[in-house]
Amino acid sequence: MAELKAEDMQDIQGFVISGYAHLPCVSYLLLGISDPPSARGWLARLVNEVTTSEGKELISCLNVALTHRGLRRMGLDEETLDTFSRPFVEGMATQHRSRILGDGTENGPTNWDWGGNLTSEPAKPDETKAVDILLLLFGRDETTLDKLVNEHRARLAQCGLTLVLPLGAGRQPDIHEHFGFADGMGQPAIEGTIQTRDAAPRNVIKTGEILLGYVNDYGKLADSPTLRADLDPQDVLHDQPPVDPTEQARPSGASPPVMRDLGRNGTYLVFRQLAQHVAKFCHYLDEATRTLDEELDSTASDRLAAKFVGRWQNGAPLVLSPDTDDPALSKEDDFGYRDSDAHGFKCPIGSHVRRSNPRDSIGPDAAKALATANRHRILRRGRSYGVRPEDRRVDDGVPRGLHFLCLNADIERQFEFVQQTWINNPVFGGLDGEVDPLVGNLTKGDEIFTVQADPLRTRVHNLERFVTVKGGAYFFLPSLRALRYLASL
Amino acid sequence: MKQTILTFITQVNPDRVSELRTLLDVMGSNVEQNPYIPYLDLKLLHFSSLVLTDDDVYGAYLVFENNFDGELDQYLDDLYAHAAEGLHLIYSCCLDYPAGSATEKTQLLSYLRAHIVHPNAYHIGNVGRSAVRTQQEDALRDGFEDFLDEVVAQGDVGPASSIRKKVQTLVRSQPAFAWAANVEPRQTPLEYAVPRLKFAIAAVMALLLSPILIPLAIVWIVMLRWTETHEPAPPELDVKEHIKELVKREDRTHIVQNHMCSITTVKPGLFRRATLCGVLWLINLLARTFFDKGELSGIPSIHFAHWSMIDNGRRLLFVSNFDGSWENYLDDFIDKAAFGLTAVWTNTSGFPKTSWLVGEGARDGSRFKAYARASMTYTNVWYSAYTQSTVQTIDNNSRIREDLFRTLDVTAARDWVRRF
Repeated sequence: MAELKAEDMQDIQGFVISGYAHLPCVSYLLLGISDPPSARGWLARLVNEVTTSEGKELISCLNVALTHRGLRRMGLDEETLDTFSRPFVEGMATQHRSRILGDGTENGPTNWDWGGNLTSEPAKPDETKAVDILLLLFGRDETTLDKLVNEHRARLAQCGLTLVLPLGAGRQPDIHEHFGFADGMGQPAIEGTIQTRDAAPRNVIKTGEILLGYVNDYGKLADSPTLRADLDPQDVLHDQPPVDPTEQARPSGASPPVMRDLGRNGTYLVFRQLAQHVAKFCHYLDEATRTLDEELDSTASDRLAAKFVGRWQNGAPLVLSPDTDDPALSKEDDFGYRDSDAHGFKCPIGSHVRRSNPRDSIGPDAAKALATANRHRILRRGRSYGVRPEDRRVDDGVPRGLHFLCLNADIERQFEFVQQTWINNPVFGGLDGEVDPLVGNLTKGDEIFTVQADPLRTRVHNLERFVTVKGGAYFFLPSLRALRYLASL
Repeated sequence: MKQTILTFITQVNPDRVSELRTLLDVMGSNVEQNPYIPYLDLKLLHFSSLVLTDDDVYGAYLVFENNFDGELDQYLDDLYAHAAEGLHLIYSCCLDYPAGSATEKTQLLSYLRAHIVHPNAYHIGNVGRSAVRTQQEDALRDGFEDFLDEVVAQGDVGPASSIRKKVQTLVRSQPAFAWAANVEPRQTPLEYAVPRLKFAIAAVMALLLSPILIPLAIVWIVMLRWTETHEPAPPELDVKEHIKELVKREDRTHIVQNHMCSITTVKPGLFRRATLCGVLWLINLLARTFFDKGELSGIPSIHFAHWSMIDNGRRLLFVSNFDGSWENYLDDFIDKAAFGLTAVWTNTSGFPKTSWLVGEGARDGSRFKAYARASMTYTNVWYSAYTQSTVQTIDNNSRIREDLFRTLDVTAARDWVRRF
């Protein structure tokens, strides 16, 4: 496909194209709308400050997303609200979603610090935890970010907004998350964007897999929210393209009303706050790898951690470098599992990276398996929060973890599928009764993890919950046009 | 070992629909302990469901799905012995039910017999494995896994052949595992041969009758294409509210399988009805021969699935007991079996635009999924005899046992150990 047009790049929020790796300081402000007219005024001003995808190197960046509840409070009409995708309309915290995402017991939405917007469940939403708007602020250093955050916090009160929770992330010394592993590896690249420049062909996905209003992997336009043209008298939005560009218009009676595309150049943003229990993780690894003489074995412990993850601490994939953390391979992402490691002897079948993206390994043949797996890719935009512990083996009680953010065009087919069919699936890839060792939903009692080996596998037992969900919500990251439309309501 | 798939389909007394729905929902809320049908005592049963559907045209139906081991008579006796009272209460809500009390065995069972619907086509994932055998082999594998953990812990693994010897010794030395050594065959030679013979006869007949069949096929193709190009475009479906209800019962914790029951209306006219009947006949022929090793057209996750034309061929009932999420199941269908499933459902109203019976159709992923969701009914009661097992794990467990005492060469012994 051709490059996206410049006009579209000005319309797409910059967060889609870039994770702003050059801006190490970040703060997420979770906001509620108390006075819609003032909030619309706030949004009208904010649109001019939103970072677009034009690719300028900025010292600070700003992006904004809304929940379904937020769109409603902003004044969007019910008919249009109903055209958004079902997971987004219902929110992350329905009972069914809690089951498929693994948000039971400690992970349950009732225990969350924020989010859990319940728009469709009988239970009354907890108003203090509900979120309408997510404001993402990035800065090149603490001073820049603090200035930006303070400026925006100062505006809230007179703009009809409340601060539900500020989620400051702090500056992270490097790209390693708190368990010690380099994060952000293995991203898909959106066709038609600069992301494809260094990407292996196997990791390039159709534009419509991330951006609404474009052709997706089925060759169809990604489902996009729409509204009647008469609701957009100022012509802020594009007309909705024909449903199926390959299909010739069929003769039919009355022509349907002209619709405007509210979703085009926008995407859905999934946000989950994942607390990481570093001391628990380290202790578990220590105890699980004691030698026959009950001695600690740090090599074995590092190795087991790498087996959990599927990459070494510095990023080298186990499937390419099963025995050492080869620095030359730390960014390597052009590989499969089928030919070199069908049995998981190098990279365990149940490891986190293999579950999160099984690549060419599941299905009758490699090409088909890869094509199928690529229909479930997500663009990760997460960052760690909280300071590194001084001693990884001491529980200092300081909150830390990962703000998991990802972008996708179809929450159900992408994020939720990965979570349900791969991460939390006890029978993934022929395994029997185990889930992802890092983020899976542990419910059984004796939780196991299998390390395949030749001739005989090893199983480690009694895995603990190393990660807990602290909050989450589904957001819509609109195009700038759509933001202008919302501000014009 | 034979497995039987059938449904009892009865019309519900319109005055008692809500009463029956309440009863079924009570059953469904705690299926293993429900007071009407003690499923755990029905040792022949693999999967079972009760679905109450209410249709504007056809009225309310109760669909009672049964996938069991052996022949019907034995199963019905077993069902009556354990669930007479519950069946009586359930079927008292249905039309023309003759029994005055649960003790009237003949009336009750002849009523059931009179309402049997045998599927036009069906698929079985684990051919020849009884429900009891499936459960036993699962427990056996768990026992072996624990034993192998000890082997690893002692740091004395050795080559594959010596691992096998250790497991063999375990089975021989432990009375609890003794049964495992006597493996019954999955199918008798006759059970294996008959469907293949049928296939061969059908192929020969087709060849012999080709002078007649080919002109008929040409006429059929012309009619098909004419029909396809003159049918109105399917409507855009809004299924959000319907899905919200459906998913309340899906993806239950501690169950790796899901259930799907779909009822669709066959497009009007004899042509579509006859085409559907032919397609299902062909699928059944293939399912009995080529697809009897765990996969249906490349889909590895179906335990029991069946298609029945009901209401004199005017509606199509599809019921499936499958592994994993509905999304994954439908993706598998689209990616691996779009050809066959388009050939089936293109004959029903609302299916996405199709060309030449098997083209396009289900490949329009999101429209096909919306159509499939719209066709689904709410499964009131659903029982699985082995909630933690997939088709693949059941097969793996069988192979572990079947090959345990077989003489294996080095490669085969290595592959056997890799099954853990």
